[in-house]
Amino acid sequence: MDELFRSYIPNSSPLHRLDPRTKLVSLMVISILVLQAFTFTGLGLFAAFFVLLAYLSGVGTGAFLRSIRPMLMFFAFIFLMHLFLTEGEPIFRIGLVHPTFEGLVLGTVITTRFVLLILFASLLTATTRPSMITNGIERMLRHIPLNRIGLSSFDIATMMSLAIYFVPVLMDNAHQVRYAQISRGLDIRHNMFRGVSTTITPMIRGSLHTADDLATAMESRCYQGKYRTSLFELRMRTVDWCVLCGISCVVFLFSGYANY
Amino acid sequence: MIHINNLSYRYTGGTLALDSVNMSINKGEFVALIGKNGCGKTTLVRHLNALLIPTDGSVSVFGMDTKDTPKVWNIRQAVGMVFQNPQNQFVGTTLEEDVAFGPENLALPQNEIRKRVDMALREVGLLEYKTRAPKTLSGGQMQRAAIAGVLAMEPECIVFDEVTSMLDPESRKMILDTIRQLHHNGKTIIYVTQRIGEILPFAGRIISMDNGRIEFMGTPREYLASVKSHVPAITSLMRKLKAKGFDVRDDVFAVDDAFLEITKACMKGYEEERNTDNG
Ligand SMILES: Nc1ncnc2c1ncn2[C@@H]1O[C@H](COP(=O)(O)OP(=O)(O)O)[C@@H](O)[C@H]1O
Ligand SMILES: [Mg+2]
Repeated sequence: MDELFRSYIPNSSPLHRLDPRTKLVSLMVISILVLQAFTFTGLGLFAAFFVLLAYLSGVGTGAFLRSIRPMLMFFAFIFLMHLFLTEGEPIFRIGLVHPTFEGLVLGTVITTRFVLLILFASLLTATTRPSMITNGIERMLRHIPLNRIGLSSFDIATMMSLAIYFVPVLMDNAHQVRYAQISRGLDIRHNMFRGVSTTITPMIRGSLHTADDLATAMESRCYQGKYRTSLFELRMRTVDWCVLCGISCVVFLFSGYANY
Repeated sequence: MIHINNLSYRYTGGTLALDSVNMSINKGEFVALIGKNGCGKTTLVRHLNALLIPTDGSVSVFGMDTKDTPKVWNIRQAVGMVFQNPQNQFVGTTLEEDVAFGPENLALPQNEIRKRVDMALREVGLLEYKTRAPKTLSGGQMQRAAIAGVLAMEPECIVFDEVTSMLDPESRKMILDTIRQLHHNGKTIIYVTQRIGEILPFAGRIISMDNGRIEFMGTPREYLASVKSHVPAITSLMRKLKAKGFDVRDDVFAVDDAFLEITKACMKGYEEERNTDNG
């Protein structure tokens, strides 16, 4: 979560200036379309679209590579799964193992889909500050009657921004507890799962303590989970409506082609 | 402006944390609340902005009773509170968002929030860090950010609950300077601490607690006198202090001179405490 949200790169490109709601809706639509693409032409089209947007955003290639890197294992796993487990014409055979040509194609298509998903998502996080993302989500959720389940859109937005900050804090705490125990003689060389329970207990206690402190601090700063304003108010401009119109047209076009 | 009347508080676990506390705090005062760990300081100050509601007795803030539920948000706006752990009171993804949290809850318009955030950050000297992520701030900077978060709500009174106990000596001094500046600008300050040395030179009034009760209330001078229990003549107090190893002249008889001597010695003690902490 931290990695995802730390990727914001300040700039004043047209993409940066779009309303976060426009970007969130567009991302959702594009993701659905990408997940249905299964020809190389279709995927190539989306890849070209990504390159165009990336160029417009003025965000360097490095940022996108960074967003891909933590997922490499996952991509490799997906690719190899399909390569070896798809039925079809074998490329070669060693014992029971036989990668197939069909697997090669399917693996490439599915892996490319995921890579594109991550790239489009990182385009959103690189051009939108975290608070704008949570803000945008809050404004979109405002129309859903969440109070039936005892929540408000404000609660959800606050929870998200707390998670962005606190997940890494809690991870740090876990490390500290671990080091404290190793420094007191916990031997993890032979069995790395040793002492997991003794790590978890103080960690949970620490987290509850943190949660309690946090709730008190929020209450004392008048947090009510009800209507609140924001340092960054959102405004849909003409260009936002144009983008949304464009996206609708694209959806309309693609819905005509079942195979792309 | 704050009146506490026969306040008692019992935690659900059964501990009687406060036992018939009476006190008043006037506008513009600098009060130091001291006492051993577990004597009820935190419990007492959490009544001042309705985080806790009295089991018995009453607390009134600007004429509003803390039991009066609809007034709670006005009370919390008027009495801000800064806590011990800087990390656990940070709620934004950047410094300015964190400071904006209070004004946002008050549902102020955007330009007013912006104005207050910048004002508060300038006051604690963190304006140029406003777009920084909390992870990149030191403990002392985060604690000053927490003060800014409270300032942005424009409270009359700010409670500091052992805010320096997790900081290094350098940050501690900076926080104390900030607090003195706030007092100078007219805020009422309630400063909770276990280190009497750090606050004695600044506080206008000392309130000392023991076991859920108020044990002493008076000026720092009176407090110093009371520590050496019932010494009648100032000279004999000074002699006793000197015998205890305080670096004071023992030929002083005027109260003001003695005060000066003791404050000097305290400052020195405080300085030494800082130095040993450094080492
Ligand atoms: N949440 C709680 N539940 C039960 N007992 C508590 C709680 N918080 C504090 N106490 C008890 O109340 C007493 C006063 O605590 P506290 O006000 O935190 O003291 P101080 O701030 O002076 O260290 C202590 O005996 C403590 O054990
Ligand atoms: Mg305390």
